Amino acid sequence: MGIDPIVHGYVVEEEQYPDKAVIIEEGSTGDWAYIVLEGKVRVVKKGLKGTLTVDTLKEGAVFGEMAMFQKGEAIRTASVIADGPVQVGVLDRERLFDAYATVSTRIKSLIETMIDRLEDTTNAIIGLLGKQP
Amino acid sequence: MTERQPPPPDLHLSYRKGDLIVKEGNYGISIYRILKGKVGVTIQSGDREIRLATLGHGEIIGEMTFLNREIEPRSASARALEETEVEVWHPSRLALEYEQMEPIIKYISDQILGRLIRMNKFIGQLGTRTFKKPTQPETTASQRSYYRKDLDVLCEYRPLDIRKTAWLKGRVRNVSLSGLGLDVGAGNSLNFPHELGKVFRVRMTLPNRKQVEVDAKIVTVRKSGIEGRLDVGLAIENITEEARKILGFFLMP
Repeated sequence: MGIDPIVHGYVVEEEQYPDKAVIIEEGSTGDWAYIVLEGKVRVVKKGLKGTLTVDTLKEGAVFGEMAMFQKGEAIRTASVIADGPVQVGVLDRERLFDAYATVSTRIKSLIETMIDRLEDTTNAIIGLLGKQP
Repeated sequence: MTERQPPPPDLHLSYRKGDLIVKEGNYGISIYRILKGKVGVTIQSGDREIRLATLGHGEIIGEMTFLNREIEPRSASARALEETEVEVWHPSRLALEYEQMEPIIKYISDQILGRLIRMNKFIGQLGTRTFKKPTQPETTASQRSYYRKDLDVLCEYRPLDIRKTAWLKGRVRNVSLSGLGLDVGAGNSLNFPHELGKVFRVRMTLPNRKQVEVDAKIVTVRKSGIEGRLDVGLAIENITEEARKILGFFLMP
């Protein structure tokens, strides 16, 4: 499966990570986004019972965009870890910001609402996982 | 050539405390932005309302229906908790703005939506696992597992412990990730009694047009208000991962 040319055109840098390498660290600051070019990554989040996997992203998936599109400080809300050797592309931050700036205020508020809900849902999942026996 | 109809203008609506803005189960396409006040998002569980979220100024209601581009009933109700003013957006104008968006942003927005749907399903699955361990039900967002949706769809069911494969007809009255409520005839062509502990295979088509088949055990039998009908409560015994996902999606707020 190839990467959609729409997004491939935004890759400015490619990075390789070995299995279990931390690509994004929860709590750190950063507002650039990545795309998985080859391999898989796991989205993990700290809970009461240690770190838990909430999602696995495959080729073509963009991650790190939540911090990018959210207002205020760009704090990473989850960690992203290589699940096996992985190749990721760093997306052109400036061009993405420019593209996002042309989006209508209303659509922006819809996207930001989705990001908020995604954060709430992820937190609720962490809460539920923490209650598991 | 006909001119393109201009999108309907925004509406401003005011609600008094307790008024419903969006009703669960209804079909609606508008998107609401809260200008003033507080709105409670709830789902119905039996005769109880479960609060999922409280939204305030600037927050949006109804975004999933629009972004999902699928016609599905509202998955939750929104009720004004105090004097509330909202701006109502007609989706046709938004759709135009959405189409004009840079493809890269559309790509990313679709990914966020996909993940949100996946996370909601995940939470549904987690819920059933925790359900087996009886806990005190609370009315918090982490209780999504206990969601029960009232509905009214035809179903077919058959007892699993007899050889005949004829299907009986009934109606599904409510559904949750752990059980079903059926409305069935007290008598039936198989002469089969509806007794506690009996296991049935139940086949139904949900309002999202997905078909689901589960094996479920009778846990309650009550005479319904109507002569010759029974209200039967069943606990799910056996369900495929696929069916669970479909149910989870259907129950999603």
